[in-house]
Amino acid sequence: MDWILLAELSANGVFVGLMYALVSLGIVLIYKTSGIANLAQGAVAMTGGYVAWALGARAGLPIWLAVPAALAGMFVFGLLMERLALRRMIGQPIIMTIMLTLGVEIMLRGLLPGIFGASVKRLDIGIPQDPLFLGDLLINRATLIGGSISLALIVLSLLFFNSRFGVVMRAVADDQTASWSVGIRVERAVGVAWGLSAVAATAAGVLWGSNQGVDWSLSLLLIKALAIAILGGLDSIPGVLVAGVIVGVAESLATGVLDPLVGGGSRDVVAAVIILVTLLLKPHGLFGRHHIERV
Amino acid sequence: MSMDRRSFIAAGSAGLVAPFAGPAQVFAQEKIVRFTLAQDFTRIYTFVTSEYSQGQRDYFTLINDRGGVGGYKIVADVTDHANDLPRAIEAYERGKREGAVLVDPLSTPVARALVPRALEDKVNMITAYSGRSDAADGSTFPYVLPLSINYWTQAGLIIEHFKKVEKGSLKGKKIVFVHIDTPFGKEPLPILNVLAKKEGYELAVFPYTPPGNDQSAIWPQVRRARPDFVIFWGAGVGQTVALTEALRNGLPMDRVSSSVWLSESDMDVVGREQAKGVMKVEPCVGGREPKVIKDIVAEVVGKGKGAGPENKVGTAYYNYGVQMATLMVEGVRKAAEKAPNGPVTGPWLNEGLRSISNFTAEGLLPSTTITKDDHQGGGMGRIARWDGAKFVPISDWFSANQDVVWEEIRKNSEEFKKSGK
Repeated sequence: MDWILLAELSANGVFVGLMYALVSLGIVLIYKTSGIANLAQGAVAMTGGYVAWALGARAGLPIWLAVPAALAGMFVFGLLMERLALRRMIGQPIIMTIMLTLGVEIMLRGLLPGIFGASVKRLDIGIPQDPLFLGDLLINRATLIGGSISLALIVLSLLFFNSRFGVVMRAVADDQTASWSVGIRVERAVGVAWGLSAVAATAAGVLWGSNQGVDWSLSLLLIKALAIAILGGLDSIPGVLVAGVIVGVAESLATGVLDPLVGGGSRDVVAAVIILVTLLLKPHGLFGRHHIERV
Repeated sequence: MSMDRRSFIAAGSAGLVAPFAGPAQVFAQEKIVRFTLAQDFTRIYTFVTSEYSQGQRDYFTLINDRGGVGGYKIVADVTDHANDLPRAIEAYERGKREGAVLVDPLSTPVARALVPRALEDKVNMITAYSGRSDAADGSTFPYVLPLSINYWTQAGLIIEHFKKVEKGSLKGKKIVFVHIDTPFGKEPLPILNVLAKKEGYELAVFPYTPPGNDQSAIWPQVRRARPDFVIFWGAGVGQTVALTEALRNGLPMDRVSSSVWLSESDMDVVGREQAKGVMKVEPCVGGREPKVIKDIVAEVVGKGKGAGPENKVGTAYYNYGVQMATLMVEGVRKAAEKAPNGPVTGPWLNEGLRSISNFTAEGLLPSTTITKDDHQGGGMGRIARWDGAKFVPISDWFSANQDVVWEEIRKNSEEFKKSGK
């Protein structure tokens, strides 16, 4: 057994998992406030990556300006998505609303490559490619930095939920009718959740885009994000953190340990197995509240 | 690349409008040869197809503007099959109905699915850098024509180059093969395994899940295997991620090689400077120096008739497209030489394509001879190295390990004869 390799894969898995968790964060934010599982989150991450690339490469903005501009633009995109599409679904069966998000996913996945072209785009946010050695152990610099940024953003969102507006959003999540009755603007809180969710997705899209290039395949982050959100609990931000690390490490170790035995392909099975097992054994996830309905 | 998409839409629209426009009447009186270029513009091969198709269309424009070849003009119907088998089959059948005598799907799964139809209908199917490697056996696959080095030959060329670097022996060396986990990615394995026994190197294989956007758990294993050489085999995002991860794991680029599927566009994503040193197989000359590319620049692109962005002219995949177009047109010329008055049918063009001899398209490709037995064209290619700005050849045109390659070709084509698979 190559212990150094296992340590490398585990460390790498932690950081990759945190990067996945950033996509899940958006799913949780929306679920917490409006009770909807947003199946467009992967495509929104892809859109964020494309927007950041377009602002940098096409509009000529320096990357330190292009990324915040993309985050701001995508916040508005999230608000509009809620206002123009989702709000119209109030009163409709929940399954129709979820199907609508799936429709948005499919539309964005075709639209963005259609507008910007299907080739992989380079999104350089200044992370060096050189290997980083700690003794014999190699740490992937891109995932180290990406995972650290993701961790910081997830912690920030935890702090946000303890702020004044965060408390308002929690109230909305607990009981929308009661929130209305005490004068809370529920629609605004839900809209902001969609905006923040798009910001989290964009941050993830930029980090993953800088890691692999920007193209349609960024939308595949949805599967990992769903696995993490389901495992952690659809309404739990700390759950996203823990589940992200579990999924990342499990995938990474599966590639290193199982692939040589089964001939490859075990990495993507991990997410599917996690979704299935969690739903069968602990439908509310590790940290989710028990009243979560199956959706 | 948005221009590519626009040009594709423009080309498609032009195709729809063409029957009602003035030039159609001119074409009606002219002798034409119709090709169906249904390819994947929108799903998997995307920008590869855009550049490849742009090269093909620019070359056909050049030939048609010069009056055609052998008295015939080329009509190329460009459509998108999106790597989707029902759409590809529909496009094939439509092309056949409209009199197409050649199809070029540029997709391994599509080409594999169309083999029985092409053989039965006697429609020439071009499978350059895609499809079945055993289609090099023209006696079994008379209407399936790779017209270029297949994946087995490419693997053979890479191993031969590594051997040269190691001064003639790979005994005791370790070669790692990282590939996308699809039939296309696995294609070179039989040859690499046979050559491992023959040359005495150790082969370690690492498949990654398609499309290959996260390979971060693969490459630490590659590095820790301490390879002497690495071959990576994929397409699209899988290639750029593979190369980026190789860099992040500190693997020396001058010991890393890929197939023909590596281009300037990939280098743009990885970083032109960082990727310096990586090698690939080159099936034709890159850049704008070849005479035929210069002619296209002067007579097609320079006159505003180009099929896509000017900055793609001379890129690797653009030149592959031109390479294939020159071979198709040479096939028409040969066919017209043999039977000037046609009739233009699949067998008519097949005779021409299978009598191409010592053809280089004025220096664009290695000497290529297609015979009724050898549809690969002789198996010549070369190794090129990325220098930060372009791929520079580091070998002459050569063929290698063709005994091993042809043994595999015959073994597989025999199997096809027996089982149809």
